[in-house]
Order: sequence, then C-alpha cells, then structure tokens
Amino acid sequence: MRGFGGSLNGYRVLDCTAEPGFLAGKLLGDLGADVIKVEPPGGDPARRRPPFLGGAPDLEKSIPWLALNTSKRGITLNLGHPQGRDLFLRLCGTADVVIECCWPGCGILPLVAHGLDWETLHAANPALVFCQISPFGRQGPYAAYRASDITVVAMGGNMYPTGDPDRPPVRCSLPVSHFHAALDAATGIAFALWAREQTGEGQLVDISAQEAVAMANMTGPAQYPLTGAKGSRTGAVFRAGRACFRELWPCRDGWVSFALRGGPARIPGIRALIEYMDEHGMAPAYLKERDWSAYNHNTITQEEVDAIESAIGAFFLTKTMAELFEAACARHLMLAPANTPREILAADQLRARGFFVELDDLSRGARLTYPGAFAKSSIGGIEPRRPAPRLGEHNAAVYAELGVAVAELRSLARRGVL
Amino acid sequence: MAGLFAGLKILEFGGGAAGPLGCRYFADHGATVVRVESRRRPDFLRLLRYTPDTKGGLDGSLMFAAMNCNKLSVALDLSHPRGPDLARRLAMWADVVAENFAPGTMAKWNLDYESLRLEKPDLIMVSTCLNGQTGPHRSYPGFGGQGSAIAGFNHLTGWPDREPLGPYGTITDSLAPRFLALAVAAALLHRCRTGAGQYIDLSQVEAGLVCLSEAIVTYSATGEVLGRMGNRSRHAAPHGAFPCAPECGDDDRWVVIAVHDDRDWDRFCEAIGNPPWCRDERFAHAQGRLAHQEEIEARIAEWTRDRTAHSVMEQLQAAGVEAGVVQNFRDLTEDPALAARGHFRAVDHPVLGSHLVEANAIRFSSSSEEIRSPAPLLGEHTEYVFRELLGMPAVEYAALHAEGVFF
Repeated sequence: MRGFGGSLNGYRVLDCTAEPGFLAGKLLGDLGADVIKVEPPGGDPARRRPPFLGGAPDLEKSIPWLALNTSKRGITLNLGHPQGRDLFLRLCGTADVVIECCWPGCGILPLVAHGLDWETLHAANPALVFCQISPFGRQGPYAAYRASDITVVAMGGNMYPTGDPDRPPVRCSLPVSHFHAALDAATGIAFALWAREQTGEGQLVDISAQEAVAMANMTGPAQYPLTGAKGSRTGAVFRAGRACFRELWPCRDGWVSFALRGGPARIPGIRALIEYMDEHGMAPAYLKERDWSAYNHNTITQEEVDAIESAIGAFFLTKTMAELFEAACARHLMLAPANTPREILAADQLRARGFFVELDDLSRGARLTYPGAFAKSSIGGIEPRRPAPRLGEHNAAVYAELGVAVAELRSLARRGVL
Repeated sequence: MAGLFAGLKILEFGGGAAGPLGCRYFADHGATVVRVESRRRPDFLRLLRYTPDTKGGLDGSLMFAAMNCNKLSVALDLSHPRGPDLARRLAMWADVVAENFAPGTMAKWNLDYESLRLEKPDLIMVSTCLNGQTGPHRSYPGFGGQGSAIAGFNHLTGWPDREPLGPYGTITDSLAPRFLALAVAAALLHRCRTGAGQYIDLSQVEAGLVCLSEAIVTYSATGEVLGRMGNRSRHAAPHGAFPCAPECGDDDRWVVIAVHDDRDWDRFCEAIGNPPWCRDERFAHAQGRLAHQEEIEARIAEWTRDRTAHSVMEQLQAAGVEAGVVQNFRDLTEDPALAARGHFRAVDHPVLGSHLVEANAIRFSSSSEEIRSPAPLLGEHTEYVFRELLGMPAVEYAALHAEGVFF
C-alpha cells in the first residue's frame, strides 16, 4: 500500500547521533517517523569518512554517511551558541524523541556538554523520550572510556570466539556493535513510546553497546558458570567426537559453508549432495555405497572424514557460489554461499521480493541502490523514504515549522547559530 | 511494579533464537508470552546435547533455559486433529502472534494471518524465517549460520588470506530478534492509534542486509566489493588485537588498541613512554601509519606481550587512548560495567538449579526489566493457560487431555 505513512507516522525524532547511532534514526524513519538529523554547522564528522561517490572527499558524498542516514531530514544547529541551545529546546517541544550518542572520542559532544541534560529536556517537554547510546552505558566504571567498534566488540565478548585458533581474535570489518546497539535503541524508543501511551510521560532510555554485543554470544556467557566454556576460536573447521570437519570450502568463485553434520535434519542433505555430485560423475563409489542412515559425526574417524571431504572439495571447486546455492534451494542442501554484494545484488530471491530500492538523489547527481524494507508489512509503510539529507537541507522548512521567520533565519545563519 | 507491557498477550510458535529472543524483549517487561510447543516436534534448542540420559530430558537444555525465561509453555500437538483448533483459540486470546516455522507451515493448520484475521481483524502477527515468506528461495532450509553467510557477514569477517568466518554466534540470530521487537512495538503503537492490526514478514537475510547498507551502496555506486580486513581499519592505524601476558592461568589473552588520528598517536606514544621507534617520522601521520602497519603492529605486540590485557587497557585509557580487553565469556561474568547494569541475573530452574540469564541492553528510567520466572518446562502451563487464561471448563479440559492433544 504505497502512500501509507507507516506505523510511526506522526512521531517526530531529533537525531543527534554520531556514527554508532545512525541506524536507529534510519529505522524509525523507515517506519514513518519524521526524523530530523541535527548536525553541527560544519557537518557530522562522519561525512568525512571514505569511500566517496566519485572518489574525491566531499561532505555530501561519503558513502557510509549516505547509506545509513536515509529517511531523515537534516538541519544544522550550533548547540554551543546560547540561541542555538534555545532553538534546540523549542524543537524538543515539538518532538517525541531525542536520540544521541554519549560516545567519548566519536567527534560529537554529548548534549550534556551544552547544558542539555535529561532533566533540562524533561522539563522542556515532559512527554519527550530521550535515548542515549553509549559504549558501556551512562554510568559505571567504563563510562568515560574511549571505544569504537573494535573495543566494544572485544569488551562485549564477541571477538574472543571469532576467528582462527592460530591468529588473534577478529572482528567483522563493518561495525556490528553499532548495529546491535542502534537496533536496541530503536526498540527501546518504541517501548518508551508505548509506555507513554499509558502514562503520558516520557523517559530516559539508556543503551549500552557492550551489553547489546553480549547478546550476540547467544547465551554463551550466561552458560559459563555451569559449562566452564569461556568460548574458543575454531576457524573454518569444527571438531566433534574423534575428528575435525571442514565448514568453509573454496568453490570456483568464492566460498560456501557446508558441514558433514549428522542427525535427521541433516543426513538427507548429505545424500542429496552425493546425488548431485553423481550427476556430474564426481561421486566416488565409497560415497555412493556408504550407509548414510547410520552416519554419526561423533563416531567417524579422521581418515574417513578426509576421504569424504576430498571428494566433496574437488566437486565444489568446479561450481560457482550461485550454482551451488541454486542446487541447495532445489535439493534442500544445508549449504550457503559466503555472498559478497555482487551475489547479493544479483540474487533472484531479493529481486523477486522487490527488496532493493533506488532513490533519485538529484542534488548529488546520483541514483543509488539501497537495501529496502527491513520487514514487509501487510499495510506497507516500511521503506527508505528519502536520500540522506544534504548539510542543512531542511533548515528553511524545519525552522519555519517552528515559527522562525525568514529574516530571523538569515540573521541566525549569519551569526553562526545554524 | 507492573512492567510496561503488563497486560499484553503474545503467542509464540517455533523455536531456535530468532523468534523467541524477540518475544523475550516483551516478556522481560511484563507481557504474558505463551509458547506453543510439542513433544512430537520439540524446539531444537531443547534437544541440544540431549541424550536419553540427559537430566530432565527435554527440560534440561541450558541454552533453551537461558533464552526463554519469563515465558509460559503449553504442550499442544498440532498434528492431532484437535490441535489446530485449540491453537486458534489461543490466537484469538492473543494481541500478537509470532512464529518462525518454515513458510507455509502455519497455513497448513489454518493459522496463517489471512485466516486468523477474518476472526480477529486487529491481530498483529509476525513471521520470521531466513529468506522471507515469498520468493523462489522461501523454503531454503537454514539456520543462523546460513543466514549470516547469505547476508554477507561471513564475507566481511576474518583474514583477507583465509576463509570467511562470520562473527561468532550466527549474527542474523541476534539481529533478527531486535528487528522483530521493533516491528511489533511499532505495530502496537499503530494499533493503539488506529485500531488496525498488521502482518509482518521479517526475512532475517533482508534485515541483516539493511545493517550492511554501507557494503551494498558502495558496490552499487562504485563497483568496489568491501572485503574482510582482519582487524584493520580503512582509515586508522594502528587498529588491531595484540597478544598479552597470561592472566588467571589463561594464556590466550589479547587487548585491542585503536588509534584514530595523529593526536591519538601522540597520546599513545606518550603513554608507552616514548620509545625511539614511536618517533619515526614515517609514523607521525595517518597515511604513513597505514602504509607501515605491519611494522607498527610488531612493535606494539612487543610492548603488550609482557603486560596483562587489563593493565594495558587501564594504562592507555587513562591516557585517553582507546583500548579494551578481548574478554572471554568468563571475563564477561566478572565485568564491572555489566555488573553495574545487572546484565546477569540468577534464576532457579527446577532441573538445572540456579543458572544465569542475561538482560538486554535497554534500561528505562521509569520501569525495570524483571526476571520473574525461569524458562518453562515443556507444557508446564498447559492447564493454567487453557483453564485460567482462556476460561475453558474443567470437563472440557479433562476430555481434551484424555484425547492426548496436550502432548
């Protein structure tokens, strides 16, 4: 249903975040909220992050910035100026939500540095929901610690078990701690808006990115006192019973994951793979003749594993990721390609669902392709709504809504308030 | 204190992490979450490390227990002729139905949204599976490990000269529950204002891809495929994990250090006592440090190797330099920041005894998350839910029980 404003249509969000929080405002905007990105007059520091459209550094062309600030309008405001601070409080009077990052070292000062603490905002608008995203929470022993993604992932326990046993722990090369934390922020904000429906009162929502990352360990830390398992890096293999098994395999143009795991859910997939190999004349007799119904990865010897894996490995090298994935879908193999954006943008499934969205960005002379709705709703209304704002793009519109006259706006701009 | 979702009723079908962890967000804030389960086809998390001698049988899984506290469980065999109708009565009771079966499964029992909404137009229902409810690959059988690979997280994680690994814990399994909670909360707000329900089709791969927008936009705009870079950064150096001295009898210890700009570098050099190598002209600016990372990393490793990860973190942070211990799961249970937030809570489970569960990352100033009860035994609340919550007469319950549908 195009044209439906979305489940959060009618809510207004002031997004004062730095990079770790961009996704939170974007998701609220995708859901229909009027999200206004508030930037310092010189622009958000993340506008200087490469890569850039066209290659050359340009505040309007940082791809990381463009990618996660869709569905937002944008204004500039100098919070260090007394009049800027007053304007911000007036904006708070029109808003339902303020989000910010209290993130030492992120390049944007927290609102409290401008005298805009929770008590002040709450007094200005008692219905306001105020969300703070920080590496370790608002208070506590590490509250002043500097921490970008790598440190939050490390301190959240998700790095230690990621990687190869013979190398250091490793992180994902895009900032997953930002994703975990920003998602919990958006969720916490929606929860606080629900609470407000009952009480009329806004509240403070305090997000710890470290704690958000801890959940990505899938209860491993909670299990530690009983299991004694502190996590371990196993790399591309897994160990079970008497043997080691390969989980990631090279194929013709990349990598696929597949493992010789037994059990009723998995054995049919192994059989189907052997059939597929056989159709290409690549299934040796010892694979075809084996009694797979009795297969148990906990009892097989390494020698047997090596023989089976050498045949499977040779076969995978003759196929592309896309070919193997097609076969996995058609034959119910539990095999997955380690997709890159190249495969993802070509994926039939995503095309069939109309997942990707193209937005014209006339001022930047670009038409960019973005991931689309994070979920499909029967009433529609979840989608990237507009390209990321240019610096101060909506100053005129937003301040006019606030009742600032055109002449006053010019004067404010001249005096460095905007 | 009543939780902020006190009075909200959620019915949960399915298993694993993606659906159930999403419903936990509501359960921890007072919602009544009823899981529909069956011994005929138990949640695979109840079968983890399950053997015929597992203490407590299907109720002895620690991972299941750690994920599903604060919920009720009814045992209901959906393959029994009376099963789907009873599930339907539960759905009529609920505000929200959440399920993560393979696409089409709920329709088989007439429990799909199209069917349920005829009777309950304001129902909110969410289905989550790897690839979504429509499209040629909707029935692809996969768990989070597959979702993480398909969405591109694996390609971005690991060493450039080695296999793509994926972040530990199959990341789509921890992202999808948060998307689920957000989408359902937004739907509740919409229902509150308009009275309208909705159906939400949450593909775990698509939701993951929204997070990876940077990689998708970069490729579509420039043709560049962002790859895995170990621990390095495109614009800052040094940026990595460095070996440390053994601590607590454990020799697999590491500290991360990140230097983002030239001022950070000056502070870092100062903090480690300005050894002569630090003052090498080649390292004074970001470009030079990026070009000579290997050399710098080797030097830093020499310095960290004899120090504990905690002492390096404290020393560098005191000097305003970003550093953090690469904490293992035991470290997390002793972490003072997590302790200050009450991240770990002990709960008494009838089979497992006292064990820990974890709170999510959200704290509210006017209401608190609360662990009220351990994860349910399979079917523990069948009678309570049908008799007390649905008001089923004792005679009817007894008759159904005798027919074996509550299995």
